Amino acid sequence: MNNFFLELTIALLFGIGTFLVLRRDMMKVIIGFGIISHAINLYIVGGGVFSEGTLVPILEHEQALEGLNQGLIYNDNLTAGILGPITTNPYTEFVDPLVQALVLTAIVIGLATTAFVLTLCYRVNEEYGTIDVQELRRLRE
Amino acid sequence: MDPFNAIVIAVFLPFILAWTLPVLYSVFKQRIGWISALIAFTCFVLNAQVIPYTMAGTPVKGSFNWLPAAGLSLDFYGDGMAVLLALIVSGVGVIIMSYSNGYMSTKEDLPRYYQWLLLFMGAMLGIAYTDNTIQMFIFWELTSITSFMLIGYWRERPESVYGATKAFLITAGGGLLMFAGFLMLRVVTGTYGISEVAQSSELLSTLHGSPLYVAVLVLIFLGAASKSAQGPFYIWLPNAMEAPTPVSAFLHSATMVKAGVYLVARMHPILSGTPEWLIFVSGTGMITMVMAGFMAFRQTDIKAILAYSTISQLAYLMTMYGYSTAEHPGLGFAAATFHLLNHSTFKATLFLVAGIVAHEATTRDIRKLGGLRKEMPKTFIVAVIAAASMAGVPPLNGFLSKEMFYETSLEIGELVSETYGGPWAFVFPAVAVAGGVFTLMYSIKLVDGIFLGHRTHDHDVPHHVHDAPWVMLAPAVFLVGLIIFFGLYPKFPIEVLIWPAYSGLVPDAEHLHVALWHGVTTPLLMTIATFAIGIVLYKFYDSIAAWQNSFNAKLPWISVNYWYDAIVNNAKPIAHKFAAITQPGPIGVYVKMTLLFMIFLIFWPVYKFSIGLGIGVGDLLPAGINYNAQPYEIVLYSLMILAALGAALLPRYLPAVISLSELGFLVSLLYIYLKAPDLAMTQVCVETLSTIIFILVLMKIPQKFKEPMPAGKVMVNLLISGVVSFGVLAVMLNANMGVLAPFETFNYYFMEKALAMTGGLNVVNVIVVDFRGYDTIGEISVLSLAALGVYSLILSRAKKVKGGKE
Repeated sequence: MNNFFLELTIALLFGIGTFLVLRRDMMKVIIGFGIISHAINLYIVGGGVFSEGTLVPILEHEQALEGLNQGLIYNDNLTAGILGPITTNPYTEFVDPLVQALVLTAIVIGLATTAFVLTLCYRVNEEYGTIDVQELRRLRE
Repeated sequence: MDPFNAIVIAVFLPFILAWTLPVLYSVFKQRIGWISALIAFTCFVLNAQVIPYTMAGTPVKGSFNWLPAAGLSLDFYGDGMAVLLALIVSGVGVIIMSYSNGYMSTKEDLPRYYQWLLLFMGAMLGIAYTDNTIQMFIFWELTSITSFMLIGYWRERPESVYGATKAFLITAGGGLLMFAGFLMLRVVTGTYGISEVAQSSELLSTLHGSPLYVAVLVLIFLGAASKSAQGPFYIWLPNAMEAPTPVSAFLHSATMVKAGVYLVARMHPILSGTPEWLIFVSGTGMITMVMAGFMAFRQTDIKAILAYSTISQLAYLMTMYGYSTAEHPGLGFAAATFHLLNHSTFKATLFLVAGIVAHEATTRDIRKLGGLRKEMPKTFIVAVIAAASMAGVPPLNGFLSKEMFYETSLEIGELVSETYGGPWAFVFPAVAVAGGVFTLMYSIKLVDGIFLGHRTHDHDVPHHVHDAPWVMLAPAVFLVGLIIFFGLYPKFPIEVLIWPAYSGLVPDAEHLHVALWHGVTTPLLMTIATFAIGIVLYKFYDSIAAWQNSFNAKLPWISVNYWYDAIVNNAKPIAHKFAAITQPGPIGVYVKMTLLFMIFLIFWPVYKFSIGLGIGVGDLLPAGINYNAQPYEIVLYSLMILAALGAALLPRYLPAVISLSELGFLVSLLYIYLKAPDLAMTQVCVETLSTIIFILVLMKIPQKFKEPMPAGKVMVNLLISGVVSFGVLAVMLNANMGVLAPFETFNYYFMEKALAMTGGLNVVNVIVVDFRGYDTIGEISVLSLAALGVYSLILSRAKKVKGGKE
């Protein structure tokens, strides 16, 4: 990733999220978590750009076939459990698909946790009548 | 049968059959004890099969693959010492399990009792035959666990629980120290094998020259000392007397406490032969021997006297093993091994007698007993012979090994005073005689207190006491037979058991000649002196005990128990105080602590690193930063930051949430710019959904409280956020300094394989669905779990309302 302004944006998002997470208001804390998780996702995806690719990692059929016809660079044999060694990347024109696949999972799990935490917040408010974190602690004791 | 198979079967048979006991109980009911005794007898026979091989001097050896990846195998090694311990364990096991048939009430939970006895026996046999330190440690801790279960057998009694916990904390803790010693031994020698080290002179000289030698010796000896109740660790043994008496006889006199002594014997070829060995092993032994013998006086419970006498007798063994060095093996090793066998016979007998007396007279308090010889004549005779053997009266076996003890103490005394000078030639025999005098005195007290004198008319003791049934008496009589037989014909045990054990572990050992009559020698004179002093001092027995009581009352902190209780009882309050300091309260504090720590973690190395390279903080920015950006990018970034600021600063929830969702959509726009269309699509869907959930929840949460934000707090939070921001920026700027060789991305593997292996053209989808399919299953499970959580959280409210609680 060599894009100063993108990096600056991500860093600022981290800072704003941290500021929110330090609040006493539970809703604000959840919003803060949301901002931080956006920042983390962007950070990882931004990391995939460093291969300086310009193409989306969706192959054209011809490209793929061309790759096949060039002869496999990996001599792996899955039945024997042998994976070929890592060699120099011939696919420099593509953006890294691996980080995207990782972040895809992260986004979906982020939804799950957000939903759960929000419901928790709702139930806490119902039980105790407040979502002030300090007040809650006082009530519990 | 092949002797190796016999060993392996003997070790694992108790473990396997123990689990069948509950089933057998439904068939055999109360006769289950005899079944267990039969199992023990089978083990005894199997062990006896190895004797011809050890007598011929060819130890049985073999191993199984166990954890080859960790370089571990199950190694078994049957030499004379191993067979001796195994025979004691299984032999006493047969006797105890038969005796328990009379002792244990039929209302007790018998399967549990015999199960743990059998498991214990298997673990002890494992210790005997093991030839690898890891395996030794496992069996070692197994004996701690089984003894914990057996001491605490009467769970409802707090004393039992206290005794069991104490025994477990001390013996298992010592085992952990021993484990550390074993690991160090492995570091020095490069092997876990015990006999391998013992038989390689090269490894031995490496070990003795190593700076870790003293640490290895001390750690392993601490394990042995805690198991054998030596030194300050003795405190667990008297409390372990809360166990049923047969258990005490089995574990706390004949077998488990011998494990430490056995370990010292096993380690003898490896660690002995240095001044440190003499100081630690025999020094601890001598102090414990005299102290425990002396402390036995103030005990009033028969079993407590026996406990202290066991501690003292085990200390004899330690002392003798300590006396024996590799260069001058002397008699110490043989004497100790012979006494190991003899102690098992007479101490087990005395415990069985204690059980009989407690069973018939319903009390174990020696002050309430007395004059039972007429009513229990058979028990009386058995007790007198066993006590006489303990005191070292000829012609019983205890006499023989005590003579050998005196002889070795004379030998080592001369040796030490020749080497180092000083009065050692006198000190060693004097300590030995002191130990003998105390032993004689409490041996007399046992017989005198229970059987001699007049009947006390205490209401705890029934009017008519009679001899025990044969089930309980026969095992004791059998052991007494052994005591006399070993005393009169020492050649038999020496040739069959002791000599193989001795010669197997001490090379170049002189052959043993043990006989009742050696002529008038110095040890014999020492024995006569012991008897004379002991009998004279016995008159003052009660006054010595009274003095000890008053002394302890004056100085309670002198007792080790005082410190044990102080540590264990205060553990909980101290933990509470510790928690109060480290976990003080609101979540905000934890978050701040975590963040501050992370800031430290990031900046401290950076700071140190930059100092080392002569770089200032300003140089943290890498040289080639790309400040180029398209105008639309700048617009996008500004909008994102504005949205985030809105989410942070807007006071009401709804605008803040709208701001947050705006940020989410902007992020998905950014994904498109970053060439990640799949992410953009997912992000749009997810953002829509989470905005809906946010708003649903907001409908239920009225904004009742406005958080007060004093300026100081805002400043602190801003500072933390600013530092986090700066840290992230610094890390990211330096992240593109270059891809390091081992961390080269392997994305092109997927690019290459996607079509060939899966037929998919969208590489991201192919990775998620095909290459990382299991991850995706995990992701779906997380989603379903979260959904379940949400559902049950909402439902829990509904139920409460229906229940009418609110």
